[in-house]
Amino acid sequence: MSFFQNVSAGIRALFRPSHVERELDEELRGYLDASIEAKRRAGMTPEDAAHAARVEMGSTNAVKHRIRSAGWETAAESLWQDLRYSVRMLAKSPVFTMVAVGSLSLGIGANTAIFSLMNAVMLRSLPVEEPGKLVLFGDAKAAGSTDSLPNESWGLFSYPFYRTFSQKTEVFSGVTAINSIEFATHGSLAGEGREMLHATLVSGTYFSVLGVNPDRGRVLNDSDDNVPGNGTVAVASYSWWQRHGSDPALVGKAVHIEGTDYTIVGVAPRGFFGTTVGQSPDFWIPLSMEKEISPGWNGLTDKWFQSLYLIARLKSGVTPAQAKANTNLIFKQYLRSEYLAPSPSQKDLADVAHAQIDLNPGARGLPRLSKRFSLPLEILTAIAALVLLIACANLANLLLARGAARSREFAMRMAIGATRARIVRQLLTESFVLALLGAAIGIGCAWNASHLLLTMAIRSPEVAAMNVSPDPRVLAFTLLLTVFTAVLFGLAPAIRATRLDLTGSLKQGRGIASPSSRISLARGLIVAQIALSLVLLAGASLFLHSLVNLTRVDTGFNKQNVLIFNLDEYSAGLPLDARLVNLQQQIEERVQMLPGVHAASFAMFTFNEGQWSTDVTVQGIPRTPENSQDVFNNVVGNQFFSAMGLPIVAGRGFDSRDRIDSPRVAIINETMAQRFFPGGSPIGRHFGFGDDPSHSGDIEIVGVVKNAKYVELQERPEGAAYFPYTQRVQYFGNFEVRYSGDAGQMIPAVRRAIAEANPNVLVGSISSLTEQVDASTANQRLIARLSAFFGVLAAFLVCIGIYGLLSYAVARRTSEIGVRMALGAKRSSVLWLILREILALVAIGIAIGIPAALLGNQLAVKLLYGLSPADPASLLAAITMLVSAALLAGYLPARTASRVEPTVALRCE
Amino acid sequence: MGPKPGEMVQGTLEMLILKTLALEPMHGYGVAQRIEQVSEGVFRVNPGSLLPALARMERAGHVKSEWRSTENNRRAKYYGLTAKGQKALKSETESWDRQTAAISRILEA
Repeated sequence: MSFFQNVSAGIRALFRPSHVERELDEELRGYLDASIEAKRRAGMTPEDAAHAARVEMGSTNAVKHRIRSAGWETAAESLWQDLRYSVRMLAKSPVFTMVAVGSLSLGIGANTAIFSLMNAVMLRSLPVEEPGKLVLFGDAKAAGSTDSLPNESWGLFSYPFYRTFSQKTEVFSGVTAINSIEFATHGSLAGEGREMLHATLVSGTYFSVLGVNPDRGRVLNDSDDNVPGNGTVAVASYSWWQRHGSDPALVGKAVHIEGTDYTIVGVAPRGFFGTTVGQSPDFWIPLSMEKEISPGWNGLTDKWFQSLYLIARLKSGVTPAQAKANTNLIFKQYLRSEYLAPSPSQKDLADVAHAQIDLNPGARGLPRLSKRFSLPLEILTAIAALVLLIACANLANLLLARGAARSREFAMRMAIGATRARIVRQLLTESFVLALLGAAIGIGCAWNASHLLLTMAIRSPEVAAMNVSPDPRVLAFTLLLTVFTAVLFGLAPAIRATRLDLTGSLKQGRGIASPSSRISLARGLIVAQIALSLVLLAGASLFLHSLVNLTRVDTGFNKQNVLIFNLDEYSAGLPLDARLVNLQQQIEERVQMLPGVHAASFAMFTFNEGQWSTDVTVQGIPRTPENSQDVFNNVVGNQFFSAMGLPIVAGRGFDSRDRIDSPRVAIINETMAQRFFPGGSPIGRHFGFGDDPSHSGDIEIVGVVKNAKYVELQERPEGAAYFPYTQRVQYFGNFEVRYSGDAGQMIPAVRRAIAEANPNVLVGSISSLTEQVDASTANQRLIARLSAFFGVLAAFLVCIGIYGLLSYAVARRTSEIGVRMALGAKRSSVLWLILREILALVAIGIAIGIPAALLGNQLAVKLLYGLSPADPASLLAAITMLVSAALLAGYLPARTASRVEPTVALRCE
Repeated sequence: MGPKPGEMVQGTLEMLILKTLALEPMHGYGVAQRIEQVSEGVFRVNPGSLLPALARMERAGHVKSEWRSTENNRRAKYYGLTAKGQKALKSETESWDRQTAAISRILEA
């Protein structure tokens, strides 16, 4: 019989069982007859012959079973039977099934959603060729440009180093450089309107090193990147191409960005978003165009303009150790020959000696999102895992009770020949059906929830493009989780339920399987649930307290009634000189004249927008550790301080005296004043950037302003210096307006005023300072919300568990309670009798939970503000909540117990 | 200690069935009887192992079955060797011969 015949025989057996059964019976009968016949012929009496033949055969059912087992269909059939039986049993108790599936789908769904996020942010490889062979130089945590001498593990490199390194390296088959500075601008396709564009500057080798082939046209190559200013070509992303109607004729057209026309030479393949998860550039442009894109970027020739990330592809056969050795050899040689003066100082020599390149796996690209979200995601993963554990414990408890209620059914089945293993298998099948139902609903929820979570955490249009929908890895994770879950909550109750005293179970109306051990297992599960919930609730309470602390932080500035207009001044097409300053002043003046506007100003930074920090040295003040800390710089308009609601506490603010040709001035904050001039007046003193004590100190301090927060709410007081934009000409992205009245009317008025000053200045998104402050705590908010949600959920599950356990206990002890009451026990003492039991469990659970919670909270220490992970108030709040929830859940069955009528209870027996 | 009467060396039942059926197609009881006779009562095959073995071998494609009438006009399921079964018999016999020869060499050494 061939494989196909085997399959078809199996299928026939499955679908025509009666036919197969008849044949089996006939064959066995024939065998028996032949055997009896032969024995009779050998001289036995007919009775003896029949008896002997039957003994030889044994149980015909057993033989038939063994014959049937020869085919695969038997296993399939019994699985099918189990499944059908399980579904029938579950359908018979819809409330149980609903509670079970509901809590499982929450548990599995939460884990799936958070794992999908983790997968998208931290685990998934770039859609490139052999991502495992890509190597990232350094950790790529810093972005921007640095002019320091490399003196530690280094991650930002200059263009000249990239060129030299590519030539000299022996361990990589290719190296590509990527500008670390994100670049957003407005550009236009020939003959179309302006649109917001994101562009990434990359070396000509970018696509070839990644092994990415164009969807159409060509990708960049090294010749695009050879001569500065010559690579006027761009590769469009697939999504940009799609947004423009997937028009094949777009290849060859020009896109106008920052005054230069770039020919679109090709379209990147679908799904390729570059090398940074969470970004989706519209164009890739050769690094040779750096100066055209941003005049301030001098990276092509300046070795001190270190602003590039490097990613390289390992040659096959090269070990990581070899790669690291060779890379660092070239790096050190380069540093010594290019960065050190002919007779270097001791400090420079020591710096270079400490400089090194760590090679990190590059398969997942540049870790922009993962560095921000790895800790929150880890915490959320832990929370979700705890929720699932609690759901499992709860289900195990429900199943135990169900198992006890069904013990008569099991006893019956075992009595008619089912083995214990068979019944355990059946019960596990039931658990799997529950878990699968839970998983199906959970995945459905997760599908939507993970995107919701993502947008909750990161309010950015880039993220919308990120793909967090479950992929095979996520589905495999969920499936594994489901199996694990089913075994976890199903196995112990199944084994317990089948440990039966058969005759006892059958005799009693409602059998009880070794009640004391069942109860103790159930109690253990309740204790575990209480301990786990305490961990969750304590964590949630900490995060909530921390969030409250954060919202109470004095920002220094007044965040109310300030609108922030995000705009693009590049698009006005003005050079970096007095003409630009003139336009900026015009815009400010026009807006300031609007009714309801109290102040309006450009600023480099408002809050939580990054930082420009430097070392400063004040003339005549010796350097101390205290005043060697970096100062946060900002470049602002004259009305910045009134727009932010920051009072000048000494000296003056910026005004029309501060011109491009007047002496350079600065206003410093209170902290910087204290650090450099404790007790003295800073007004009229001079300082300069850098740590050189002989520095000229060309900047005069004209005022002191109140302290404010710059980068985040959690920061300590930082020294800060503000400079007028008239003396530091630059394009701005922020324009803030303090107003009174209706923001809805203010916004179009300000837009009009800006357009009147120069119609080419494009206003993008508009937000408020309050929103900006809120957005800076998005992580904490997300975690606080989710942990509170899950904490309450956990407490709710515990309540269900306690309620179930006590109801069962009360039902079992009805007669005992009846006797007690007949003997004169008061209702209150019966109430106490039952509640006492639950209080003991809660006490044990909390005793175990406290150290676990303290340990778990250590994980959160970095996300907490203004309180310690062992904050007693938070822990106390969690305990109070848990105890009251447990008492509430215990009170209902206890009350039922106290209302038992002794006569009724005793008659029951 | 040799096998007790009726007990079979493990894994040999299917080879013995194949050998028995190589002569002519037989029904289940016939196979059992033949094995018992030829082995002079050393091997006694009970239906509880014989019939499942035949079912397994049928699924494996070593034997095929059909319903025929017996010598005393009863319907019985007759099993016959397939080409695949013949091949299996050959290879099993060879490997059996090799093993027994090796075992006796060891015992005689």
